[in-house]
Amino acid sequence: MATPPFGSQQQHQQHQQQQRPPPPMGSGIQQSAASPMIRPANLPPLGSPGMPRPFQSPQIQARPPPGQFANQGQQTAPGSPAINPVGFMSGPPNGQNRSQPTTPRMQHQQQQQQGPPTSHQLHQQHQQPLHLQQQQPLHHHEHPSQPPPPQLGQHQQQQQLHPPMGQELGLMAGPPTSTPQAGSQKPKRMYPTGINAYAEPTPAYEATPSNHGFQQHPGVSAHYQKGDMQQQPPAHAQGSQFFVPGEKQPPAFGQSVPAYQQGHQPLQGQPLQPNVNQLAGQMGGMNLGNTGYGGAQGIVPVSTVALMGSVPKIYDLDAPPPPIRLPETASITQSPFANCDPSYKRSTLNAIPATSQLLTKSRLPFGLVITPYRSVKEGDEPVPVVSDSIIARCRRCRTYINPFVKFVEGGQRWKCNMCYTLNEVPSSFDYDSVTQRPVDRWKRKELNHAVVEYIAPTEYMIRPPQPLVYMFVIDVSYPAIQCGMVATAATTILESLDRIPNDEGRTKVGIITVDSSIHFYNLKAASGEPQMMVVSDLEEAFLPQPQDLLCNLSECRPVLEALLNRMNDMFKDTQNVGNALGPALNSAYKLVSPIGGKILCLQASLPNLKAGALKMREDPKLLGTAKESTLLQSASSFYKILAVECSKSQVCVDMFLFGSQYSDVATLSCLPRFTGGSTFFYPAFTAAKSEDALKFAHELAEFLSQRIALEAVIRVRASKGLRMSAFYGNFFVRSTDLLSLPNVPRDQSYSIEVSYDDNLSIPVVCFQTALLHTSSSGERRIRVLTLALPVTTSLSELYASADQVAIATLLACKGVERGMNAKLDDARDALTNKVVDILGVYKTHMTASSSGATPNLQICDNLKLLPLLTLGMLKHVGLRGGSQIPSDLRSYAMHLLSTLPSQCLIPFLHPRFYSLHDMPEHCGAIGDQGIEMPQAMNLSSERLSRSGLFMLEDGQNIFLWIGRDAVPQLCMDLFGVPNYQSIRGGKTTLPTLETDFNQRVNLIVNKAREMRRTSYYSQLYIVKEDGDPALRLWFLSHLIEDRAEPIMSYYQYLGHLKDRVNSASF
Amino acid sequence: MSAEAMVFLFGVIVGAALLFVKVFFVILISDLEVDYINPIELCNKLNQFVLPEMFVHAFLSFIFLISGQWIATAWNLPLVAYNANKVMNGKHMFDATEIFRTLGQHKKECFIKLGFYLLSFFYYLYRMILALVNDS
Repeated sequence: MATPPFGSQQQHQQHQQQQRPPPPMGSGIQQSAASPMIRPANLPPLGSPGMPRPFQSPQIQARPPPGQFANQGQQTAPGSPAINPVGFMSGPPNGQNRSQPTTPRMQHQQQQQQGPPTSHQLHQQHQQPLHLQQQQPLHHHEHPSQPPPPQLGQHQQQQQLHPPMGQELGLMAGPPTSTPQAGSQKPKRMYPTGINAYAEPTPAYEATPSNHGFQQHPGVSAHYQKGDMQQQPPAHAQGSQFFVPGEKQPPAFGQSVPAYQQGHQPLQGQPLQPNVNQLAGQMGGMNLGNTGYGGAQGIVPVSTVALMGSVPKIYDLDAPPPPIRLPETASITQSPFANCDPSYKRSTLNAIPATSQLLTKSRLPFGLVITPYRSVKEGDEPVPVVSDSIIARCRRCRTYINPFVKFVEGGQRWKCNMCYTLNEVPSSFDYDSVTQRPVDRWKRKELNHAVVEYIAPTEYMIRPPQPLVYMFVIDVSYPAIQCGMVATAATTILESLDRIPNDEGRTKVGIITVDSSIHFYNLKAASGEPQMMVVSDLEEAFLPQPQDLLCNLSECRPVLEALLNRMNDMFKDTQNVGNALGPALNSAYKLVSPIGGKILCLQASLPNLKAGALKMREDPKLLGTAKESTLLQSASSFYKILAVECSKSQVCVDMFLFGSQYSDVATLSCLPRFTGGSTFFYPAFTAAKSEDALKFAHELAEFLSQRIALEAVIRVRASKGLRMSAFYGNFFVRSTDLLSLPNVPRDQSYSIEVSYDDNLSIPVVCFQTALLHTSSSGERRIRVLTLALPVTTSLSELYASADQVAIATLLACKGVERGMNAKLDDARDALTNKVVDILGVYKTHMTASSSGATPNLQICDNLKLLPLLTLGMLKHVGLRGGSQIPSDLRSYAMHLLSTLPSQCLIPFLHPRFYSLHDMPEHCGAIGDQGIEMPQAMNLSSERLSRSGLFMLEDGQNIFLWIGRDAVPQLCMDLFGVPNYQSIRGGKTTLPTLETDFNQRVNLIVNKAREMRRTSYYSQLYIVKEDGDPALRLWFLSHLIEDRAEPIMSYYQYLGHLKDRVNSASF
Repeated sequence: MSAEAMVFLFGVIVGAALLFVKVFFVILISDLEVDYINPIELCNKLNQFVLPEMFVHAFLSFIFLISGQWIATAWNLPLVAYNANKVMNGKHMFDATEIFRTLGQHKKECFIKLGFYLLSFFYYLYRMILALVNDS
């Protein structure tokens, strides 16, 4: 094996990455961080098993560009089963430990070819005469329509025999963008004009050849050399102009080049290919030979990596979870969609421990992260809909039929994969009684897709599907008018009226405004003018009239528009500071509860009258102490009780909170938390700032136009032996395994912890989530998500299959829960303890150095970012210690931490950090996958440079950091101002200019706002290096690899973890 | 019938009532576990008994105190203090939103109280019979 070159190559890339950005604040931190970077290039990690290295390297070839990951992840699941068709065709696999030796499809055909029924079938016929008579002749029709499995197998085999291993390897580790191939194909220029202009020109710099210069070099190696040479100089050119660049650096770089080229050249382009194939072949052979049910138990390469001394490979944050290695015959249809996509449902462990002891031993958290109602954007696969209302369910455990059941007795029955009960297959699976024609059951969507939606028949309804109901409760007290919330809200609602889902014309809308009295509006007044009714008796708020307060949107449209147009003017001179939210909510509840629906609360002041009145309880003395969590708990039971009532009548409450002062997010967010709603918080909102108004208007408009689900319940079923033990998210737990959600907003995530009832003796476990809901088009539907995972008895496979992103999502939920109910300190300790446990067990059982102190921390490749993500949590506003964070902000961050889906949560914990001033030409331009983003960098301030422009975004905010030595050309190009001094920091909108750079940055900012499935609109801040210190600190607090008092830097944290691991025994 | 016998007769009756209430609690909580009842209903049902139960128990302890039954008073005082503490912290009611998270705790508490009332019941019965025997 060509181990050493691979290693050196990869390390060199690290090296190169390290060197590119100039060192900014050349202090002790940088020193300590820089020294370990170079060291590991020569040292193999101590105690790592021999195998991992070679495994890591081929991925360099096989790794696709980052944009393809989603597809790749899907293909991997069927990929591994497809390896085996050879064995499968030449006879039933030996030693297969199950009742069902061949796939049902095979069995089906065998049966037909044999002609007369076997004794087995006769027995069946005896039991089910009618059924069989009806079905037997159909098999002939059915036969030709089925694709013969051998062909399918061969086809897949040809495609997959080589790739799978490469894919698997590719998924495990490695830089996606710094691969030699990608690198050699990529244009290496990095905004040449920009750099020339923006970085103060140095002679070396001006010598950079023209744009196409390097393409004239024919050889691959020449490309390489050229490319790297070009990438490097800017760094040095910049580096030389501020701080001490370190006299050593250029020579070091110069020295490294030849070595690098030597190491590189044999690896480029073609030469690596055979290695990969060879390896894939070998591994494929291993898998082929391994015919037992242990397709899942096959040799799973665990590649151990050393954590300390290397920069965290953050690009793996976007990598798909470890592949699910199901046995070949797990799915009855070899459909590529047979297993659930991770964006809908992912497990923290992609191989399930067979015993609870094994799980306890590994100390890995076991849970599911579910986003059942994620939005489907353009280009995404829509959820297939089964519209013939044939819903096959297990009669015992009520599991829906899915691709992992088994057909037995000649396809007459199916065996439930959760409880192993035999169930009748509905005759309509094979015969359509309406058209009187046979149908192909293998084409049924529920047998081919893990995510399907059924149109539910009336048995699934307690009442006719409810229409959408939007009840607005708008605060019109003095602070609300003053900050412009009412005006913005009224305009936004007015403009969004067309976007509110109203397919069947049943959607109802009502408006209540509230200050010290409650104002109702008759939206169906005969005069065509809205009629306002004021109820000032708050003790027993009654409804002034029985109907027309909640009206059909299409019918009351003119009146509603008139009201919204006038709303701000009606109250513009108010001096009323009362806010009777409680009584208003009670009235709104009375109005909505007969139907169910949504109450949207827009509040800009603290409720201060009658029921539900809240006090300003923020006490700076409590912040940072053990008592702080009392501020994060609900202050009044009123809202909790109301939430329970709302949940019972299918009413969801959403909170839009605008705080110029304390707004008690902790208490008010109780309502959304237990009714499946959402909370939005706009601290220091003033509509006079167009950015504030834009953010709110965008989010409210998105929120109103969301096609939400109504009157929903979620139930998660799992194979026998497993149980859902704890639930995190916004819902009401109605039974031990039933979640009730009056509304299901798009893209909200729910985390569920799983525990053991019994040990597992089965090769595959299944988790099935069923979401019974009414769609916004008024159909009762059931969305079923099925996830099948292999069972393992080996600790190494368990570790190799752990999904760090899902683990981080689950840990964030648990941390938030702990922080709210106990102490924030406890929550942080628990998070660190968890990581220490995982690292400790890994060290003890998976590495050579089982006991005693080791100089480095080791973990498997797929968990290598867990310490970084945990550190991100410890430094996150939601959990960070210190007395600086107002409890409102903390509560809101906690709300986000426990509801954001993984896709948005990971950037929220570990923001994306880009360098814009020296980004390559193609970034910000429209490429194959839309607008191309620059490569994300590590979150460390050593990446910042005084003349640079950097962007950091976490899904909620976007920061543009601009160094104080930014050249005037950059200021001119991007902001249209002559120099750095004229740039205005703070919340802002980027001007749109004619310059190329400005357009690219604008595109990148817009892409950052739109690239995730979320309705949040990121606010843009411009952070000047010497600008507003608060803003600067806020920006710097996102750089989690840095030391931020009192929390350690990433390397200190690793050292701390190492000490803890070394001092304890596991 | 002496005053002592009267006091313990009252104790026996109240003890039996408390016993029944606790059995009712345990049954409902087990119902929740097997999904025969939803948490909202459960909390509505149980919460109306929580304060009366505590009050009755405190009243019984008070009767023991003024009638000079020091052992019985000492036996009951810790529970009175525990209940009072819970009410002061506002944690005595069953919370439907948290019930599944705290179910184990509630169950444990119910069983301990059940045992406590059972022991109390037999103790009161014994003391009542003792007092009656001494009377005659």
